[in-house]
Amino acid sequence: MTDEKPSEAEKPEEKKAEAAKPEAAKPADAAKPADAAKPAAPAAAAPKPAAKAPEPVIPATAGKFEQFLKEHGIPSERLPLSLTIETIAVSGDVLQSALRLLRNSSEVQLDLLLTVSGVESNDTFDSVYHLWSYSNLDELVIKVLVKKSDVPEGDLPAVPSIANFWSAANWHERETYDLMGIRYANHPYMRRILNPWDWEGYPLRRDYKQLVDSLNDKNPHSMR
Amino acid sequence: MATEIQEIDLKTDEMIINMGPQHPATHGVLRLLLTLDGETVKHTEPVLGHLHRGQEWQGQNRTWFQYQALIDRVDYLSGMFTSWAMARACEEIDGTVVPPRAEYLRVMVSEMNRITSHLLWLGTYLIDLGAMFGFPFYPFREREKLFDLFEEIAGQRMMFNYIRIGGVVRDPKPEWLDKLKRFLDEFPDRIDEYETIVTQNPIFLKRTKDVGILTQAVAKDYGVTGPCIRSSGIPLDLRRTKPYSVYPELKFDVITFDKEGDTWDRYMARILEMRQSIEIIRQCIDKLPSGDIMGKKQMAGMRIKAGEGFSAVESPRGILGCYVISGGGEKALRFRWRNPSFCNLAILPELLKGCPLSDIMAIFGSIDVILPDVDR
Repeated sequence: MTDEKPSEAEKPEEKKAEAAKPEAAKPADAAKPADAAKPAAPAAAAPKPAAKAPEPVIPATAGKFEQFLKEHGIPSERLPLSLTIETIAVSGDVLQSALRLLRNSSEVQLDLLLTVSGVESNDTFDSVYHLWSYSNLDELVIKVLVKKSDVPEGDLPAVPSIANFWSAANWHERETYDLMGIRYANHPYMRRILNPWDWEGYPLRRDYKQLVDSLNDKNPHSMR
Repeated sequence: MATEIQEIDLKTDEMIINMGPQHPATHGVLRLLLTLDGETVKHTEPVLGHLHRGQEWQGQNRTWFQYQALIDRVDYLSGMFTSWAMARACEEIDGTVVPPRAEYLRVMVSEMNRITSHLLWLGTYLIDLGAMFGFPFYPFREREKLFDLFEEIAGQRMMFNYIRIGGVVRDPKPEWLDKLKRFLDEFPDRIDEYETIVTQNPIFLKRTKDVGILTQAVAKDYGVTGPCIRSSGIPLDLRRTKPYSVYPELKFDVITFDKEGDTWDRYMARILEMRQSIEIIRQCIDKLPSGDIMGKKQMAGMRIKAGEGFSAVESPRGILGCYVISGGGEKALRFRWRNPSFCNLAILPELLKGCPLSDIMAIFGSIDVILPDVDR
């Protein structure tokens, strides 16, 4: 089962026809086999899942932070992904200066870093930063998109680390490295945090296959 | 014959000792690598992951319907909050309207869950401090009564699966509300009972006063949330600062202390929060409207529209966030949890710096970390 699922997700277009049959056999889908097949089609055809979002309602503070960054000479691009929160994309080179500015300036106090998450979409690896404020209601999502085609063969996508000036990011970046395989450059301690230190592969990636059966491992020298 | 005096150099190197993972006071399995100078802690390195179950991976490989039954296990002491965070994120993407009765019920069961979580913390924290005289059974007595109520309404005592995407799953009977009211009437007296034993106890004061002081600057730097940061004087309570659900209609104040919080303040913050929760539940019972309790059909092939959403709720430990990316199918494309325990645990090395070895558990316990919530 575990071996099949990632490969299905990897090539939804090719395997859809085959996948439809075993799915219909499951009791859950047996009631509506035809219904189940229909909505799967647009999802598979769309290159970006989020692009299918039904016309986002732009909130009143549209582009507030994008505008703020522009005034300080940092380019960013608004993404129409979320319905309620402003989402912008910045390039990796300006990430540190952008976050420093958003955290410390007196006009915008985005000083609560909620999470750093890694997301794999069809053609990019995203490092996502959720910023809130301790003192006001502002919210912002910053994404750094690393194109898969830009990542050298056998290497990890790299994003600059912000752990040096924001301790909250330290463990989150380690976790993202551990599970999604995004390397944070200049991180003080870039080491796996949840998995064992000798673990191979990045479990949340779509092409991940478990090399060792961790429950039934017969190797007496194995750390797991 | 004169004795020859030999000078022996005492070894004064720093010593590295291993604490855990099977330490009775770590509430799960946490391993600490401590660098000690005599009795003083110089450096701490927490080693996590002993309870890693791949909850995020499971979210991507299970249907929405399956996964909402699983996430109560992320933080097993406050399952209602994990369910609620996921439900709110999915509702945000899906545009589901939750009926008002369901919202009130959600607030009620969550506040009950907050009380049970704090009660367990109170009992085990006293054990951490060495109070082996049976105190834990006092809070556990009330906790059992709440679990009986949970069992009646959700069918389960700890892994509720009660808050679902779109609403809640069962409507309580009028007798259930009566039982809850009766519990709320007697519970303040019980809290007084705990406080009589603990709050001004000289041994307790010696162990907790001015121990593990969390300054505001450090707390903000590490993204600490929940009672820990409120006891340090930063009034960050999502129920008030970013109100969600029906919290705007309820009357209560954010509990903060106007100075930098030590371990005793964190204890007191939780005691006050329990009292506050009683008042919130009372208001909910009075205002509980009639009507529907579910706004989305619950079925195995449930789908959520494409899009991404982030929601956060104020759990007993802090801000519990859920970041969901949906592709419109039966499964999520990405699930990401922002667990308060994980973020709060990161300050442990900072708090332990320079404290004696015997204070480690007093400080660690006061952060109220649940290890399954850390490791997921």
